[in-house]
Amino acid sequence: MISRVLCEKVLAAAASTGADYAELFAEKTFNRSVNMLDNRVQQVGDNVVAGVGIRVFKGLRSVAASTVDTSEEGLIRCAKQAAAALGEGKAEISIVLRERLYGDIHPVRIVPGSVETTRKAEILKSAYFAAKDADPAIVQVSGGLMDVDHNILVANSEGVYAQDRQIRTRLFITAVADKGQGTQTGSTGPGARKGMEFYDEIDPAAAGREAARQALVMAGAGYCPAGTMPVVIDNGFGGVIFHEACGHSLEASSVAYGTSQFSGKLGQQIANEKVTAVDDGTIPNAWGSVNFDDEGTPSHRNVLIEKGILKSYMIDKFGGRRMGMAPTGNARRQSYAYVTTSRMTNTFICNGEDRNEDIIASVEYGLYAKDMGGGSVNPATGQFNFSVKEGYLIRNGKICEPVRGASLVGTGSEILMKIDMVGQNLSRAQGMCGSSSGSIPTDVGQPMIRVSSITVGGR
Amino acid sequence: MKYEEFKNLVIKAAEAKELKDYELYYNASESVSVEAFAHEINEFSSSTEGGVCFRVLLGGQMGYASTEDMSAEEAAAIVERAVENAAVLETAEESFLAEAGGTYQTVEEKHFVPATAQELVKTALEGQNIAYAADPQVINGTTTSAINESGTVAIYNSRGLDLSASYATAVIVAAPVVSDGKEMNNTYEVKLGSLDQIDLKEVIEKAVTNAKKKLGAGVAPTGNYPVIFGPKATATLLATFSSAFSAEAAQKGLSPLKGKEGQTIAAENVTLIDDPFYEESPARIPFDAEGMPAYRKAVIENGEFRTLLYNLKTAAVAGVKTTGNASKHGYSSPVGISPFTLILQPGTLPEEELLKEAGNGVYIDSLMGTHAGANPISGDFSLQSGGFMIENGEKTKAVKSFTVAGNFYEMLKQIDALSNKAEYQGMGGLTAFAAPAILVNGLSVAGK
Repeated sequence: MISRVLCEKVLAAAASTGADYAELFAEKTFNRSVNMLDNRVQQVGDNVVAGVGIRVFKGLRSVAASTVDTSEEGLIRCAKQAAAALGEGKAEISIVLRERLYGDIHPVRIVPGSVETTRKAEILKSAYFAAKDADPAIVQVSGGLMDVDHNILVANSEGVYAQDRQIRTRLFITAVADKGQGTQTGSTGPGARKGMEFYDEIDPAAAGREAARQALVMAGAGYCPAGTMPVVIDNGFGGVIFHEACGHSLEASSVAYGTSQFSGKLGQQIANEKVTAVDDGTIPNAWGSVNFDDEGTPSHRNVLIEKGILKSYMIDKFGGRRMGMAPTGNARRQSYAYVTTSRMTNTFICNGEDRNEDIIASVEYGLYAKDMGGGSVNPATGQFNFSVKEGYLIRNGKICEPVRGASLVGTGSEILMKIDMVGQNLSRAQGMCGSSSGSIPTDVGQPMIRVSSITVGGR
Repeated sequence: MKYEEFKNLVIKAAEAKELKDYELYYNASESVSVEAFAHEINEFSSSTEGGVCFRVLLGGQMGYASTEDMSAEEAAAIVERAVENAAVLETAEESFLAEAGGTYQTVEEKHFVPATAQELVKTALEGQNIAYAADPQVINGTTTSAINESGTVAIYNSRGLDLSASYATAVIVAAPVVSDGKEMNNTYEVKLGSLDQIDLKEVIEKAVTNAKKKLGAGVAPTGNYPVIFGPKATATLLATFSSAFSAEAAQKGLSPLKGKEGQTIAAENVTLIDDPFYEESPARIPFDAEGMPAYRKAVIENGEFRTLLYNLKTAAVAGVKTTGNASKHGYSSPVGISPFTLILQPGTLPEEELLKEAGNGVYIDSLMGTHAGANPISGDFSLQSGGFMIENGEKTKAVKSFTVAGNFYEMLKQIDALSNKAEYQGMGGLTAFAAPAILVNGLSVAGK
């Protein structure tokens, strides 16, 4: 992309007014997608994102500038703009870059750009029509197959000059069912940091059938009763509870500013002792994995909570300065145009010791959330919400009728203490996480868990 | 290279391939943002983003390709790729390009003085002083930001259309954090306009007051109550369910409003207007994303559903004229449909009267998690809320961590009253919402 020599020049210009850290992030990303609705291919997306983001720090000040003009003049201009915004002063650091090969533990067999769009449409169709043809009550299906070829270069004044090629692909199917009581949707979205070989490993048709099954179940469901009750949340995307209730509050972007419910709580118990949780960016081919982060720090496996005790935050370089702590490989940005901050990679609650059947049997009256939708959180107050995509009532230890329209709300610090049973079927699921540095791929995950009491919104 | 130069190269490449029907859409934006924290500038960022989208009509299908890389190679490559992509499409409906020669409303120039970086820095720092002086409970973590945003949209097509428009605004964001020693709360307040006309003190003090009011909030009791949605919360609901007014959603069976034009779908006091030229909007652009003239229209008038929002393709399917609501979320996104500023027209009651009318219930001023807890197709919502209890016609104790649930389309028919003042809510991008407070009798609240 940009030569080491030119990067040195640009970083020197960026640091010319006294910065103590300078960084260049360059990318060229190929985004492609095929989308279907009404049984037809309606849209082919095809976009090239290309640009450079430059950052300089001086103490606790950060300046970021980005540009789409990647000519030498354009880069120097952008660097000088950042230097000028930092203030007046003389260069205090010298820039010497050494090329680094961090390696790639995410092998890709079939690069998506080398596959015809018509072939991608065929894969999407096999999933799409599996959903559409599942039942006459499926009234509409939408679907998409997307792939991203994200080429990045990170160079910084600590001497890093490294490149990575992040290839990801994902299939989305949303089925809409109507059994005469209003429409309900079901959806699936499997993805990985892999190439097109991913679709030989999963069965796209099964993903389509799963979306249809969920829509059909929910279309036949009544409304969820509102109230406070025990809730059993199953594995996979159920892990969104940890992502929202806790994960965001452990990011340096809120911890460093004292605006997190968990600021200053390292070494303290913040969760039930049954809870051990990890953020792991090193899982081969996982959706949220990176070889190194967007500041050039190699990715880590960070134990966040061990048996209820807070062990680690997720830290980027700038947040780390305020906290006096080292970065953890969690610095991420959607693109060069966003300012990097601390984010999650693959975050999950580890397997526990409870048997899943015992968890269900323990609930006299409550909710079983088989699958979860998205959610959001305010890290300062810890208040979170998320929707239950597929829920059932539990009566006398047995899973009973499905219920629609449920949502779960609460406060992270309270809920973490109330996770009093943890099962053994850990699995991860894919999501897109939105925050100040844009939308990035992350995995959530957990085994089945029980929350002893939580507010369930319904009607 | 600059856009004009790139545009000429794309036109040459298209002509070389003997393409007859094509369009080039350009959107670029610049933003300079300064954030202050603990009386210091914490973060300064400036970004320039922009790209072009080439669309070509071939065999009735509209192929797309987009890029941010404005180089000579890419000018030829996007034409090539759009042609290839068109061949994969199976769209049943015909696609169209806008014809030249439409009449476009002249937009009155607004008073706007672009702020310099120094002025943004000064404003952000001054904001810190105001915030900390506003109340002793304001604590570290409080940020104040001053931002300059500007952008350009241009559309060129092979039918002779050649349009461009630009917009600019300053934005103040006050994000105070307050603590009473026991708990912490935060909120934010956003104000758009010309920096020299924004009352910084008013914006920040309002944010601090709002953050303080929520300290010590309890949980609302579970039950069925009269609910008042404050202006922000009402705008959030409108934003969440506005996709139902899209003709595209209706034609694909993804909106319950399909075929209901002319019918009563809301209470008589409900009038919903889509206005591209709303006074408070920073981006008043006289054309839509296909280059068709934009204009003000009633979507719901006194409860009667007047029109869905159309672009060229969906209008042709329905056999009507486009309403000029073609939209793009970014330069590369497909042409869809969105309102410009969707305004729920205010009613007659001051908010105090609305509270009296409610008697005993809940006042909701914030809704969260709309991307997960609301379904625009069915209208069902169950959303995390914050606000106040209403007791004997007055706002009393703050409440949080509860949900309000209902169905948007049923609720439209159950709006008992609207307050007399609408507030504008930008949502990022060119779509915005404005709404007053509304009173709805009987929604389900789940709390303690």
